[in-house]
Amino acid sequence: MSGSVDGAAPRRVVIDVAGRAVTVLRGGVGGHLVYLHGLCDLHAIDAGERWTPFLAGLAAHFDVAAPALPGYNGSSGLEQFDDVEDYVWHLVDLFDALDVERPVVVGHSLGGWFAAEVALRRPERVAALALVDPLGLHVPGVEVPPFFGAVAPRGIGGLGEARALLFADPEGPCAVAALPDTMVRHQQLLWFGGLAGAARLGWKAPHFQSRKLAQRLGRIRVPTLVVRGGLDRLVPAATARAWAAGIPGARLTEVGGAGHCVPLESPELAAEVQVFGTGRG
Amino acid sequence: MNFFSFHLMPWPYLGPPREFLAEHEAAWVTLPNAFYDPMKGQALYERYLEELVDAERLGLDGVVVNEHHQNAYGLMPSPNLMAAALTRETSRVRICVLGNALPLYNPPTRVAEEMAMLDVMSGGRLIAGLVVGGGPEYYSTNVNPTDARPRFREALELVLQAWTRPGPFSFDGEYYQLPYVNPWPRPLQQPHPPVWIPGLGSPSTIAYCAERGFGYMGVAYYAPPESFGRQATAYHEAVARAGRRFDPELLGWLTTVYVADTDEQAVAEAAPHLAYFQGTLAAGFVGPGKVWMPPGYIDPPALVQFLAELRGMVERSRPDDPRQAVWRRSPLVGSPETVRTRLLAFVRELGIGTVLALLQFGSLPHDLTARSTRLYATEVVPYVRAEAQKHFRARQIGP
Repeated sequence: MSGSVDGAAPRRVVIDVAGRAVTVLRGGVGGHLVYLHGLCDLHAIDAGERWTPFLAGLAAHFDVAAPALPGYNGSSGLEQFDDVEDYVWHLVDLFDALDVERPVVVGHSLGGWFAAEVALRRPERVAALALVDPLGLHVPGVEVPPFFGAVAPRGIGGLGEARALLFADPEGPCAVAALPDTMVRHQQLLWFGGLAGAARLGWKAPHFQSRKLAQRLGRIRVPTLVVRGGLDRLVPAATARAWAAGIPGARLTEVGGAGHCVPLESPELAAEVQVFGTGRG
Repeated sequence: MNFFSFHLMPWPYLGPPREFLAEHEAAWVTLPNAFYDPMKGQALYERYLEELVDAERLGLDGVVVNEHHQNAYGLMPSPNLMAAALTRETSRVRICVLGNALPLYNPPTRVAEEMAMLDVMSGGRLIAGLVVGGGPEYYSTNVNPTDARPRFREALELVLQAWTRPGPFSFDGEYYQLPYVNPWPRPLQQPHPPVWIPGLGSPSTIAYCAERGFGYMGVAYYAPPESFGRQATAYHEAVARAGRRFDPELLGWLTTVYVADTDEQAVAEAAPHLAYFQGTLAAGFVGPGKVWMPPGYIDPPALVQFLAELRGMVERSRPDDPRQAVWRRSPLVGSPETVRTRLLAFVRELGIGTVLALLQFGSLPHDLTARSTRLYATEVVPYVRAEAQKHFRARQIGP
């Protein structure tokens, strides 16, 4: 499969991975880059008619493949995923199905967790790793607000509590466009389906944290960039520092003024990721 | 025909919905437990148990308790403890635990053991209610909601096997693996106590009950009676599809009941306590505020529909004629004549053979509960029982 020439318009394909349907957006030119989405991102709030500005920025420089994680945007087989191993081998199989041998892997939020878990088990399949507000790391003593309580639906009223957790400016245009108080039916279906996908592994408290990951981080022997939104409430500064300290040679950078949803809040992040990934994928 | 008295054992001291919701988002999950006063709690348990025992004295057929966790809505995290007390406090009535939330027990053979104890202690009077557990309870226990339903069905299978299959045997399921299943004691009723499952109308639950010969008990205190009517129709159709003979006692209706001398008096007396039940205590389980409905607990299309119905309910609940406001969700509030007529119409139209009457609801105080229960038991039940028997016999319905 080769990338589309037009960086602004991805192709939406559904591919089969071991009997499971995976929705993939693909497009752009350049080296291979796989983008694993986050909790409030492409595939979670947007079915993928076009790239987000962040991914459009990357697609100008890479052949980008952005699969939907199980449960999200038509990707099936969620009930088969019981632990992090299931996600890792699913993603390795997915790389094969996409015919990408050694891509740059950019993982945001939930996708950042799985990107790191792939990199530590199959470092030869990851050319470079960019983790943007990654979930997954448990740091003793660092408290994280309960995500699923904040996104519980309301009979009347909207997702203000979820926006306050996920965005630096909860009532700003970026947050309100992503999580409007009134969603139409297809948005609701996408969002609730994604939350079930997130809950499959992330439900276990504290949410989205592996107790095993910290002791294994040292095995990630690939060039790694860790990015944190300076106002992220789901990934506290101490957790981001622990990521960077645990992965040999990793560099940590902070995007001031952004919350958890950095790719939506600061699409200019694409330039930094592009510089980091260029020549690697 | 079964007439049961159903108790939630609610906390009655939170105040009317408007004031409560101004301060708190829900009566579930996060309402600080500092509001629970153990001294008042002791008096409540005494009172509520006594109200259930009253049901036996007044000639009803059974008592019902149920399981809820970390909320003011129902103060029975372990309904089996209450059922155990009732085995000693009563001697005739059926004791229904509706039910134990199977996915919250690991291993669920614990439920098989405790219910077998209750069946033996009560001399075979137990009705075993088995439930998935409410959405809020998945937040409160942190059990994963995304496989709640398949886990529930497997746990139910395990419990049935534990009751009926000679032990020891091994169980090798998707969710539960047990090398030695061999519970002592075994239930007194053979092959096992009747199994009842409460539901809010999920078509798959209704079909499952019909196929397996389990009772389906429709919870109807949040929705208008038409909604329960649809559930009853679906149960009849599913029983026919399964090729089973319809047993009316396996189709039940959980509903609030309040009887006073006149309709006006009944509505006036019940209204504030129904409002407290449906508005204050249910807040968090239904709207208008936060709804503790965990991801994956029901399919996204069902969740979207549920939320749309909630919004509809909230919009419809704008002030109007107080009688209509009460009757929309609680038709069995009125004079003995009104309640008799309406209940019998439901029995005839829907074929229900079990009525689980919530005779105490919300903040309804003891004196009103006792008076209404007496009127219901003496002025409503005998009449409806006799007429229902005639109705079912004439149509050759039932075993």
